Amino acid sequence: MRNRFLLILLGVMLMTAFLQASFTKQDIKVYQLDNGLKIIFFEDHKIPSISYYTFFRVGSRNERPGLTGVSHYIEHMMFNGTTKFGPGEFDRIMEFYGGANNAYTSDDMTAYTDWFPPHALEKMIEMEADRMQGLIFDPEVFESERGVVASERRMGVENNNEAILYENVRATAIMAHPYHWDVIGWMSDILSWRRDEVIQYYRTYYAPNNAVLVVVGDFDSQKTLELIKKYYSGIPAQTPPPPVTTAEPPQMGRKEVVIKKEAQTPSFLVVYHAPRCQDADFFALSVMEKPLLQGESSRLYRRLVRDEQLAISVYGGIEEKIDPFLFSINVKPRPGADLDKIEKIIDEELNKIINDGLTEQEYQKAMNIIRSDFYFGLQTNSGKANLLGASELLFGSYEHLFTIVDRYSQVKREEIPAVAKKYFHELNKTVGKLIPQGGN
Amino acid sequence: MMKKIISLLLLTILLIPVMTMASERLPKPEKMVLGNGLTVYFLKNPELPLVSFRVLIPGAGSAFEPRGSDGLANLTATLLLKGTAKMSAEEIAEALDFMGARLRVADAEEYAAVYGESLSEHLPKLLQIAADCLISPAFKQDEYQKELARKTDSLKSLKDNPGSALRLYFRKAYFGEHPFGHLSTGTDSSLKKMSLEEIKKFYSARYRPDTSIIAVVGNIDKEPLLELLNKTIGQWPKPAAAPLPVIIPPIPAPKGKKLILVDKPDATQSYFSLGSRGLAVADQMSARASLMNILFGGRFTSWLNTELRIKRGLTYGASSSFQSWKNGGIFLASSYTKNDKIGEMLDITFDLLKKAREKGFSEEEAESARNYLLGQFPQTLETNSSKAGAYLRIIFYDLGFDYYDRYLNEITGARARDLNQAAAKLLPDKDFVLVVVGRGDEVKKILSRYGQFQEKKITDPDF
Repeated sequence: MRNRFLLILLGVMLMTAFLQASFTKQDIKVYQLDNGLKIIFFEDHKIPSISYYTFFRVGSRNERPGLTGVSHYIEHMMFNGTTKFGPGEFDRIMEFYGGANNAYTSDDMTAYTDWFPPHALEKMIEMEADRMQGLIFDPEVFESERGVVASERRMGVENNNEAILYENVRATAIMAHPYHWDVIGWMSDILSWRRDEVIQYYRTYYAPNNAVLVVVGDFDSQKTLELIKKYYSGIPAQTPPPPVTTAEPPQMGRKEVVIKKEAQTPSFLVVYHAPRCQDADFFALSVMEKPLLQGESSRLYRRLVRDEQLAISVYGGIEEKIDPFLFSINVKPRPGADLDKIEKIIDEELNKIINDGLTEQEYQKAMNIIRSDFYFGLQTNSGKANLLGASELLFGSYEHLFTIVDRYSQVKREEIPAVAKKYFHELNKTVGKLIPQGGN
Repeated sequence: MMKKIISLLLLTILLIPVMTMASERLPKPEKMVLGNGLTVYFLKNPELPLVSFRVLIPGAGSAFEPRGSDGLANLTATLLLKGTAKMSAEEIAEALDFMGARLRVADAEEYAAVYGESLSEHLPKLLQIAADCLISPAFKQDEYQKELARKTDSLKSLKDNPGSALRLYFRKAYFGEHPFGHLSTGTDSSLKKMSLEEIKKFYSARYRPDTSIIAVVGNIDKEPLLELLNKTIGQWPKPAAAPLPVIIPPIPAPKGKKLILVDKPDATQSYFSLGSRGLAVADQMSARASLMNILFGGRFTSWLNTELRIKRGLTYGASSSFQSWKNGGIFLASSYTKNDKIGEMLDITFDLLKKAREKGFSEEEAESARNYLLGQFPQTLETNSSKAGAYLRIIFYDLGFDYYDRYLNEITGARARDLNQAAAKLLPDKDFVLVVVGRGDEVKKILSRYGQFQEKKITDPDF
């Protein structure tokens, strides 16, 4: 995540949705340029604003030791100057035109998210196309931005007990696959990335054939396509990046991480290896997680927070990932709570699902949550752009978005115990505890 | 010069359509008053099968807690969802989760609020639950004990995070005995002396329909909605007693410097907040102040973020903002950096404040701020829920439904000299509160050059 300037200025301005557009697969327009750039359009004129999202198929999953965190670092450098626009010019010009942006890097992808008034469209297209190939990585700026990322790591991980525990647990659970490290990267790598290596990485992954453009909002498809062609066609395709071939070997037994540090409250986390998002089991686990730990009516919230009063909160679940990742259960224990007892209760609740499955009521609840979350996500141009892009990159096609609710309803209640049994067992489990030292 | 004129002209032309559309479509909601005096504002939005509503209860916020009862308003609001005459806490949670609906209660300083959102088909049930929670909360002893324990524990874990801890220390330092110094989180001592009786009393005295307002936006027609409201929240009885006055003393303005250092021995970074007098929501200067703040610390390329982050890499983020209430507000600048760099960071911040007050901003910067604010308007109220929030804001602060038109006009007309007046008037010089949370043994010496800091230990109770 690059910046947090989310519109403090705004308690303001009203727009209605008189000109509504339907949002169906047929309303989406898709193009591909000769250099491989894929383009997804959805026109919606209800507010005078455009969300322009660029997704690159690169994230910490594509990194290697020594270069961990570099995908996220390039996300920062994308704002720091090209041959055409000097350092900081992108932001200055964009803001001058009334636009704002953010960007994020995950394990699997890097996204640049711009939203701006229609009159800024051509300038934004010009600048986005420009930075897809023209970054200069000025040596001085290179160093200063290294400092920003180091500060981000200090703030986000080192001064955050849950994040410290998460980083340790993930690195323990995942031995071989690059999901081993967090997106931010290890501090020693952050402090020693070499400029030539970073440039090489950028060349490989920031190529039109490795990118998807999603535009949603108040624009004209035909004119916009012409503008995109004008600015992007000259960017040459690159040799496709090497595939990630490392597969995580099966875990052979329960693992445990214990961290002792100054803190007022303990932290607790359990993870299990889980399937990739294109696996059929992903959907079953995603249905199961809702009655297990989503909301105050969930089984784990009831037992840990309400009945036994061992915890302040519980959250987690499975994540949409290209390769097999983790199903996590995060618990914020009460000070002095018995962490072994928390683990035992989690085991008990998982075993109940393995033995007896979900009730009809719980199953229906999961389906309702999936359906309403889907609509909540579609309320804004940016929400639509993000979902279209994520579907394209993670599930293989934007079309997936229009069948996702149906896909979930294909999960049968009866199949859940067998799927749960496959993943929630002792050999597949890693437990993390952060135990406060001093005080408490 | 030529280039400048062209660019100014161009943008003026280009921005006109945005402005006109904004103002033409500014939808005035329908107003209705239910039998119990509850005022309803409604807008239909058929785009998605969703409905949002927000209820605002003036006078039920943290500013109306008795002194030393920090967290009372928050606990009262929280317990509304923890059981009613008809439903247990479990039943409420189950019914909400089952629908995939959202129902939250919150307390601000000036009011309490209930936020609800669901698929249109679930609105009847959701409104029924919300009404039940507002009308007949059970305030059961065991639920109270659980919430109190959770709050006590959360307070501890907040202190593990220097950023969250800073917000609480700053609020106490700035507002002191003023009711805005009440912490929603509670304090160690306020939670120790809290009682369920006090919560029940606060609820009976402060929650009532005839001074409350509800805004509903989404895919539902007026007639069925009105019928639904009458059956649910319309049943909330109006108390016989006259409403309590909702008066908040003037918001304090610091005189001279107040410096506080909070020692957190395991912190690898130091976090600071610098606060001073701001302005009220309806203040004449508020549009100009917003523009000025965009340039000073309110966006990515602001002076503050440019100097602290972009040029020097001292931090991941630096920002400033105005927080405004009915009768006043504050200006706040915050950032964080490695412990040994906190002096450099503060020096730059003070230099920038001085430069903004004395030299001010250029005409080109003012233009950029105008474009930015206007360009970012439309999507800020894109959702049903944000529209409902805007209606409540207009009503509660008595801004008038032409507020946004006036605001936009003022933005469009503002020039550098207007922003510079705002900067000279509002940015702190000698009167401010500065709170730093960091590793004491490393930063104490650095900070001593700014004056005498009052020292606190993060492990000590309260703030």
